[in-house]
Amino acid sequence: MPPSQLKQLKASLRENGVLGPQKSKKEKRQNAKTGVGAKNRNQREVALQAIRDRFNPFEIKTINKSSKFDVTTRDGNTTAGGGARPGVTKSLGEERRRATLLKEMNSRNKIGGLIDRRFGENDPTMTPEERAAERFARESQRKMRKESMFNLEDDDDEMQLTHMGQSLSFDGPNQDDFEAGDLDDAESDEEASRKRKRFPDGDETQDQDQDQEDFIDYGDEEQPGRKKTKAEVMKEVIAKSKFYKAERQQAKDDDEDLREALDKELPDLFEALRGIKPAAKETKPEAPKQDFSEMNPERAAMLEESQNSKDPEKEYDQRLRQMTFDQRSKPTDRTKTEEEKVEEEAERLKKLENDRLRRMRGEQLTDDEEDNMDQDEIPEDDESEIDDAMHFGLPTYPTETRPELGVEDEDDFIIDEDLVETDSNASLDMGDSDMEEEEGSSSDESDGPDGEDEHINGMTLPTEDSAAASTAVEVNKEANGKLAFTYPCPKDHESFLTITKNVPVEEIPTVIQRIRALHHPRLRPGNKDKLGRFAEVLVEHVSYMGNKTEQPPFAILENIIRHIHSLAKTHPLNVTIACRAQLREIGKERPLNLLPGDLILLTGLSTFFPTSDHFHTTATPAHLCLARYLGQCTTTSLADLASGTFAASLCLQYQKASKRYMPEFINYTLNALCNLAPTEPTVKFGAFPYRKSQESVQLVPSKKVTPRKLQFRDVTTSPSDPQAQEELKISLLTTLVSLLGSASDIWAEKSAFTEIFTPVRAVLQYLRQSLKGKVYAAAREPIQNTLDKIDSHLAQARLVRRPLFLHDHKPLAIKTAIPKFEENFNPDKHYDPDRERAESNRLKKEFKRERKGAMRELRKDASFVAREQLREKKERDSEYEKKYKRLVAEIQSQEGRAANEYERARGRR
Amino acid sequence: MPALVTDSSSKKRKSGKNASGPSSKRRAVAEDNFAEKLSTIQELENQIAESRKGYNNIATLLSMLNVEQSAEKPEMAVAVSLCRVFSRLIAGGNLTESSRAAENEKIVVAWLKERCLDYQNALVAIMREADASSQIAALTLSMRIVKERLAHIPGAENNVWSTGFFKDIFAAIVEANNGQDMQTEAVAKFVKEYEDVRYYTFTQMADYASTKRSPEVLETLIKILQACDEVPGPEHKFENFYAKRDTKNKRLVSANSHRKQAQEAWLAILRNNLSQSQRKSLLRMMVHNIEPWFNRPELLMDFLTDSYNVGGATSLLALSGLFYLIQEKNLDYPQFYSKLYSLLDSELLHSKHRSRFFRLLNTFLSSTHLPSTLVASFIKRLARLALNAPPSAIVVIVPFMYNFFKAHPTTTFMMHRSIRDKGELAQVEKEGMDDPFDPNESDPNMTNAIESSIWEIETLQSHFHPNVAAIARIISEQFTKQAYSLEDFLDHTYAGMVTADLGVEERNLKKIPVVEYQIPKRIFTDRLLEEDGGVDSGPGCFMRDLWEF
Repeated sequence: MPPSQLKQLKASLRENGVLGPQKSKKEKRQNAKTGVGAKNRNQREVALQAIRDRFNPFEIKTINKSSKFDVTTRDGNTTAGGGARPGVTKSLGEERRRATLLKEMNSRNKIGGLIDRRFGENDPTMTPEERAAERFARESQRKMRKESMFNLEDDDDEMQLTHMGQSLSFDGPNQDDFEAGDLDDAESDEEASRKRKRFPDGDETQDQDQDQEDFIDYGDEEQPGRKKTKAEVMKEVIAKSKFYKAERQQAKDDDEDLREALDKELPDLFEALRGIKPAAKETKPEAPKQDFSEMNPERAAMLEESQNSKDPEKEYDQRLRQMTFDQRSKPTDRTKTEEEKVEEEAERLKKLENDRLRRMRGEQLTDDEEDNMDQDEIPEDDESEIDDAMHFGLPTYPTETRPELGVEDEDDFIIDEDLVETDSNASLDMGDSDMEEEEGSSSDESDGPDGEDEHINGMTLPTEDSAAASTAVEVNKEANGKLAFTYPCPKDHESFLTITKNVPVEEIPTVIQRIRALHHPRLRPGNKDKLGRFAEVLVEHVSYMGNKTEQPPFAILENIIRHIHSLAKTHPLNVTIACRAQLREIGKERPLNLLPGDLILLTGLSTFFPTSDHFHTTATPAHLCLARYLGQCTTTSLADLASGTFAASLCLQYQKASKRYMPEFINYTLNALCNLAPTEPTVKFGAFPYRKSQESVQLVPSKKVTPRKLQFRDVTTSPSDPQAQEELKISLLTTLVSLLGSASDIWAEKSAFTEIFTPVRAVLQYLRQSLKGKVYAAAREPIQNTLDKIDSHLAQARLVRRPLFLHDHKPLAIKTAIPKFEENFNPDKHYDPDRERAESNRLKKEFKRERKGAMRELRKDASFVAREQLREKKERDSEYEKKYKRLVAEIQSQEGRAANEYERARGRR
Repeated sequence: MPALVTDSSSKKRKSGKNASGPSSKRRAVAEDNFAEKLSTIQELENQIAESRKGYNNIATLLSMLNVEQSAEKPEMAVAVSLCRVFSRLIAGGNLTESSRAAENEKIVVAWLKERCLDYQNALVAIMREADASSQIAALTLSMRIVKERLAHIPGAENNVWSTGFFKDIFAAIVEANNGQDMQTEAVAKFVKEYEDVRYYTFTQMADYASTKRSPEVLETLIKILQACDEVPGPEHKFENFYAKRDTKNKRLVSANSHRKQAQEAWLAILRNNLSQSQRKSLLRMMVHNIEPWFNRPELLMDFLTDSYNVGGATSLLALSGLFYLIQEKNLDYPQFYSKLYSLLDSELLHSKHRSRFFRLLNTFLSSTHLPSTLVASFIKRLARLALNAPPSAIVVIVPFMYNFFKAHPTTTFMMHRSIRDKGELAQVEKEGMDDPFDPNESDPNMTNAIESSIWEIETLQSHFHPNVAAIARIISEQFTKQAYSLEDFLDHTYAGMVTADLGVEERNLKKIPVVEYQIPKRIFTDRLLEEDGGVDSGPGCFMRDLWEF
């Protein structure tokens, strides 16, 4: 049983220290002095209030029913309503309403009013003294800030507070009244302090004033224990500010001097930086320098001006301008050693190879990585090609280039950025501007003799001077026949054809090179686009040249393809688009009848683009193009068979690195071999569809012919001579067989190698048998070799064959219907896995809560307003009542008096 | 029936005008002598109409028609006017002999009948020989005569339709030289339009095709039959008749008898000596055009089984018809699945009927009650074929297999098999293994395919085309999808894939394409070979090794 209420009360009072042992008087006094007593009193008040609250059961809301189970709810604290004090909250609300709503109510239909903006007026934490002090401080601070426009710092009496026309300043002749008497003799500070020391308690008010002054004064120089008069303080302040000002001025002057001196040295510095000998300095008269350092710089400058009769400022400006346009000299990179270069190159190649492998596996390169790659790819190319470029130099040096072009080496087309970079930018600028100036004349000179009406887009050879150029052109013309120096950059293939109409095929690379040099992107902003288009034109031209009846030498084609490749590095999009356009044309117009030009383009394409990529915008369609051709073309002649063989070998070349399987290749080669076989096979060798050639291409085995290396022109022309035909057939046969051998090497790792190559073996065996003893060993040999190779691969494949084990992944979980229990469930947390739904639920809930709260508040507001109105009404009523009663009473008393008088009068009568 | 008569006569007038339409047009542009000729024709015709004395003019007109010598260039104006003359005579009852008539009257009638026969023969000759427009005109005229005869000569039904004039007309239509226009005209204007014409066409066709005919003729017959694609249902009301109908004849108004005639016609054609391509085209239209006409589809069985046994594309096409019979008519086809299995040959995936076949194959194998061994054989066979298949076929096969694996879980051992037996495992580790599958076994239940694995598809995961490779990869991923919808994969082609890769025209490329970082020293030639010590090992050396540029 708990102790009685009284006992509890006593205990809690004691606990809070309200009741305690009696304090001695001395202690009490000391407490009172130090202010501990007041604090204690406050504490006691708080404690008492708490105890009162605790012992008043009506203040605290309690749940009247204890919960049966321990439950957790979403409604916040488990002790719902426990500890809430409705009375307190209600009164708080009431108070708040009184402060806001009631005011509004009262000021309703009223306009205007005063707002008290005085500092600290509504701050209840400040005592009136503090408030006054703060105000004073602000006032004097404002004064010190010197915001007014014409304020000179030393002016102190710009405005004075006056009273009855007399100044209120402290340091004026009129001192504060209370000190007037004291200061009659104008005591010294010491005396005053002494005096104050003597009467520590007497000058209470003054002391306080002093305190206030201290507040605004600078505490750092205040000597402890010594008080200053106001006048002194102010004087000190003024003196100090004056001193500071002088000091600042001094510092400024010093700085100025220093700067002046530096300025004078600056030209020398420039010269030193630019590496020009300071010769000019010596020519300058030394004399005027004598004593400028001590002088005022401006004066010195003036003097100098008069002496030099030159405008130094102008010069300075000039120099400054020059300087802004000058490039800062930068520390150059350390020259790398040979080993480092090699290492770097190896590193770069390794990285590129890794990227290629990743692309082959179909992994995505992240964008930034790719960007990086692109970024460092280009400059590094420069690096690698820099020697080439330097080797062959610019086409601007005619003596060097022209005669050798296309003879010594085809690599000279690599005229990349380095060409320009070898010269300094400044000189490039010079050259450029010069060139622009001479444009008209030099171009006239260069095409005039040629008699070609060439449109030169404001661009000529970047020659050093026009005279040299013209001679160069003449020299060149003699050397190269009619080859011009300048060509417009062709926008389409037709214009390129017109340009090259009169150019012999052998010179086309030269023309291309010149076009590229002339329209180098560095030379003109639009050139990059032009070259891009030019790359497209070149792609078209390769296919065009390949399709021509008399095929150009492959050296030329190769050169053009290499040109395209190097253009592709800078204009990958253009080249891709052009290639894709060609592929599209093939796909639309001649999917099953590839022209030689197409084959050349497809070959070239395999060099520009990585054919090993898992997906490549150009290489993949090219693959598909080949596969479609191999898969669906019909064989009508030996030429068809030759181009098919070419396509098949191209397929293998495409797959050299990535080793992807191509069913069409196997189908085609086996089909072709069956067609070439001397006798038509009677049994089926495998699952490849056998399509008979429309025109028999069966080999007539004879010992007369020997296989040769296939030539590209076999694709275009079928030999009419039967001997040559047989030769071509046997060569095709051996080539196809060796292709199969290479294919077996490439695909040796495939799990279905056995299935792919068993039919191949059957066909080859059949071939071997049918050719046995009928042809030269040279023809039989490749078959035997390939067979051996395939046999060994097959044996290997059998050895490594295992049942497929594809689904070794973690088994999928069976769907379960058991509810998911949350360990340590927290009702405040939301476990909805659907984020959006959880969010919307949360918002809904919040909205509901807010809405409820707002409604409750409004309701309370309304009841408050009603209550207030009622109260007012009651007040008014009671007032009226009172008034009424008063009047009635008055009248009654008058009446009574009158009645009395009447009575009296009647009594009198 | 006066109403009927007037109706037909008014029709006659109208159609007479129609018939003379082209001739009047021709008159407008013709020369004078042509106009003269026309006027004489007109005169002769008028004389015939005026009195019986003018009947001799019929003979004149017939000689003017002059068919014997030049059926290629008939005088159509004469034919038209003769048609008018005979129509009038038939309508006037001048061609019917009454028993009470006088002897000379009978002679006149017999003579007229003979002339009418002459005229009919002339028309048929024109239809066989003349140019397209005359053929069509002659066809129209002949059909008018048919109509007139049926309308006005009692009891002529049998006479005209089955044995008489219509038979000749039909034969002429079918055998006409360059008769395509006339045939389409006949089909559009008469056969499809009028129920009775169609009915008798069927009858005639069955009769006609009962003897062996040339493939061209059969082609025509098939075309005509194919054009009649509206099979009358049992509720069909037969109202659209060309000629007056004998009301006693119930056959014309029963759907059953219509279908019976069509069935006879089709059967006659199917039994004829069809060429291979005709057989294929017939099989192609089997389900939609032929089977609906058949009251007893089982009659098709012989044809279908024969076709199925032919092999190749014909078998593929016969499948759907056969399936229809199996499904609808409870046809028992022993060894159906082994036959189906044998259809999976090297040509299948390259044939243009591939998607058709796969649709059917999907239906046949969709039963979950099929033995797993059988399904496994199909899977394995398809996998083998996929190794030599074009990408568009691989793209079908893999989802197809996926669906099988899903439906027959025991077959999933083909994708994933771990050897539990220690000894066996050791042996496999030491010696490797052969494929347990026997590709030469024709019975799909005995191939042992379920013991095998689909290495082929695993190999195709490195197919050169990234999309195909991606599809092949589904068999090694979790089988979370219930089934792939085959329809989405069926109709891919090389052209479609090229378009998918390249687009119709250039769009903006999202990424800057990667360019090979090294410019090779050599592409075609042996440039700078000395630098590498004479050994060509750079990129593209493979090509240079094989080819001389």
